[in-house]
Amino acid sequence: MELIGLLNYAVFMAIFIGIYSLLALGLNIQWGFSGLFNAGIAGFFAVGAYSSAIVTAPESSVHLGGFQMPVVVGWIAAMIAAGLIAWPIGKVCLRFRSDYLAIATIGVAEIIRLIVKSEGWLTGGARGINKVPRPFGDLSYLYSQLAYLALVIAIVFAVYWAIERQISAPWGRMMRGIRDNEDAATAMGKDIKARRLEAFIFGAAIMGLGGALFAHFNRSITPEAIDPMIATFLIWIMLILGGSGNNRGALLGVAVVWIIWSASEFLTDQLPTEYAIQAKYMRVFVIGLLLQLVLRFRPEGILPEPQGVSSRTETKTFQKQESAAK
Amino acid sequence: MLKKIALAAGLFSATALASNAAQADVKIGLLGGISGPIAAMAPPMLVSSKLAIQQVNEQGGILGGQKIVTVVGDSACNPQNGVDAATKLVNIEQVVGLIGPHCSGSVLAVANSVTVPAGIALITPSGTSPEITGLEDKGLVFRTVPSDDFQGRSLARTLLELGTKKVAVAYLNNDYGSGLANSFKAEFEANGGEIAGYSAHEDGKASYRSNLAELSRGGADTLVIFDYGDGTGLTILRQALENGFFTNYVGADGMKSDAIIRELGTENLTTFVTSSPVGEKSDSLAVFNKAYIAAGGNPDAIFVTSSYDAAFLMALALEKAGGDAAKVSESIVAVSNGQGEAILPGEWKKAVELIAAGKDIDYKGAAGDLNFDRAGDVPGSYGLFKVDGDTFALQQTLN
Repeated sequence: MELIGLLNYAVFMAIFIGIYSLLALGLNIQWGFSGLFNAGIAGFFAVGAYSSAIVTAPESSVHLGGFQMPVVVGWIAAMIAAGLIAWPIGKVCLRFRSDYLAIATIGVAEIIRLIVKSEGWLTGGARGINKVPRPFGDLSYLYSQLAYLALVIAIVFAVYWAIERQISAPWGRMMRGIRDNEDAATAMGKDIKARRLEAFIFGAAIMGLGGALFAHFNRSITPEAIDPMIATFLIWIMLILGGSGNNRGALLGVAVVWIIWSASEFLTDQLPTEYAIQAKYMRVFVIGLLLQLVLRFRPEGILPEPQGVSSRTETKTFQKQESAAK
Repeated sequence: MLKKIALAAGLFSATALASNAAQADVKIGLLGGISGPIAAMAPPMLVSSKLAIQQVNEQGGILGGQKIVTVVGDSACNPQNGVDAATKLVNIEQVVGLIGPHCSGSVLAVANSVTVPAGIALITPSGTSPEITGLEDKGLVFRTVPSDDFQGRSLARTLLELGTKKVAVAYLNNDYGSGLANSFKAEFEANGGEIAGYSAHEDGKASYRSNLAELSRGGADTLVIFDYGDGTGLTILRQALENGFFTNYVGADGMKSDAIIRELGTENLTTFVTSSPVGEKSDSLAVFNKAYIAAGGNPDAIFVTSSYDAAFLMALALEKAGGDAAKVSESIVAVSNGQGEAILPGEWKKAVELIAAGKDIDYKGAAGDLNFDRAGDVPGSYGLFKVDGDTFALQQTLN
C-alpha cells in the first residue's frame, strides 16, 4: 500500500518534470542558445493548453468546441497556435534588446491571460475548459499515470533529440554567434532579425506543446493555471539553475527545482502545525534564495554550456554533412 | 547529482517519519490556497476546518477512539500546486478523505487527475464554479458551498414574485460577477422578465456614470448590481443614487457589506435590498458562531461556515463508513439527506451514538442544511436583506 503510494507519487513527479522540461527546453532555445529574454512563457503555455483543449474537447454551451479531434491533432494544433502567436509578437518585440524584450513579453503574457479570462465564448472565461480527453485516462490510477508518463517521456525525448540536432547543426552555431556578438554576425551577412524570429517561434511552439500536455493530464484548463509565478518564473529558475545553453542542464534543473518545490513540503510538515503552515510560504522564498545563490556562486548553472567539446562533435557532423553533399 | 541523492534520501526519511506517526490514526487532508491569491482568506478557513476535527477528537474520537489527524497541503490556488499537493496527500500521507482545494480550478484538476482515479472523496468548501457540477466524478466530489448558478437563479425568481418584471443589470467583469449575472439573466428571461440593460464594468474606475446612463436608457426602474460592496459596487450605487438613474437597487451577497451603510447612510438606502446565503431555520449557525468565537476566530469571515461543515461532514461520513475510504462518498450523502435525527455542529458524541445504534442522522450545517443533490451540490438557502438601522436585516427567505 505504502509502496504503491510512493510509486504513484514518483510517477506523478516524473510526469510534471517532463511537462516542465518541455517549457524549459523551449526557453533554452530562446534564451540559452539565442539570447532572447522571454518572460512570457505563461502566455505560450496558455495558448498551447487552450488550443489543444478546444480542438479535442466535447461540445459545450460555454466555450468554443465540439471538434473532438484525436489528442495528437490537439498537440500539433497547440504547437502551431503557439508558433503563430509568437510570430507577430516576435516581429514587434524582437527589435528590443534583452531587458526591454523581457518587459514586452511579460506584457504579452498578461494580455493573453486577460483574453483567456474575458473572451468566454472562446475559452470558457473563468470556468475554463473541462472534459479534455486524457490519453489512457480510462485505465486505473497507477496504470493510467504510467501510460501518460511513457507518452511524456517519448515526447520529451523526441523534442530533446530534435533540439540537439538543430543546435549542433550550422543553425545552432549561427544562433550562438548572433547571441554572443551581434555585430560580428551582421558583418558575416547573417539576417539577425529573421534568425531570432525563427528561434522565438521554435521555442514558443515547444512551450505550447508543454501547455497541451498539462491540460490533457488534468483533463481541464482554467485561467488559474496561467499564474506567472508557476508558469514563467519557476521555469526561469529551473533553466538558470540547471545551466542555460545546455539541454541536459535544463532537464536537470527542472528535476532539481521541482523535487525541491514538491518534496520540501514533507520536511516542513514535520514542524509543529502552526509553523508548518507558515513554512509553506517559505517554499516560495527558498526557490528565490536558491536562484540568488546560484547566480552569485555558479552563474553558469550546474551543467554549464559546453565549450570546445561540443565544437569538435559539431565539426564532425559538419564534415559528415559536407562529405555527404559531395 | 549528489544533491539529488541527498534530496531523495531526505524525501524517503521524511515519508518514513510521517508513516510512523500515523499508526492507528485516521488521516484527513486539508488542501487550501495557503500561498497565492487567496492567502488572506485561507487561514480562517483552515482554522475552521480544524475546529471541527478538534471537536471530534475531544468528544471521544472517531471509529471507537481513534484520533483524526489533519495533514495540510498548499494548493496555492492554482492547478499545478493543487495537483502536486493532492498527490502527496493521497499517496504518501494516505488520507481517507480530502477537504478542499479552495479554488475551483484546483478542484477540477485535482478531482480529474488525483482523487477520482484514486477513489478518494473530496469536499470543497469554496469552489463555486458551475463546472464542478458537471464533473465525471463517480460521485466522489462534493461541495458545501452553493454553485454561483443558484444564487443568481433564486434572486431572479424572487424579484419576479415580488412584481419586478423589468430590470437593468450591472456586473463586475470577473468570475463572480459574470457567473451571477449569466445565471440571473437566464432565469429572469425564462420566467417572463425583461432585461432592459446588461453591461459588464471593469474594477476600480472613478466614474461609472456613463455606464449607468446607458443602462437606464432601457427604461427599467430597478438596477441589479453584481459586485462587491466595499469596492466598485459602492461607487456604482453611490453614483446611481446621486443622479437618480434608478429607483430600486438590488445586490447579491457581495453587496451585503457594512461599508455601504457607513458610506451612503441608512436614510438613502430605503430602496436597496441584497440577497445573501443564510443558514436555514436551525440553531446551527448560532452554535457554530459561539464555538468559532471561543476558538478565537471571526465567524463573519468568508467561507468559514462551509469549511467547518466540510470537515465535520467528512468525519461523520468516515464514522458511518466504518473508516472504509471506498464507502465515504455514499456516507456523505447518507449523513445529510434531510432524513433522520438532526445533528448540529459540534454534536459529535450524539452522532456517534446514533450511528452505532444504526439510526439515520441528518447533519444541519452552519452554512445551511446541505442535503446534497446527485451532482454533490448543495441547493443553498438565501435570504433577501434590507437595510435596518446600521446593519442588514432579513426581509424574507428566497426559495
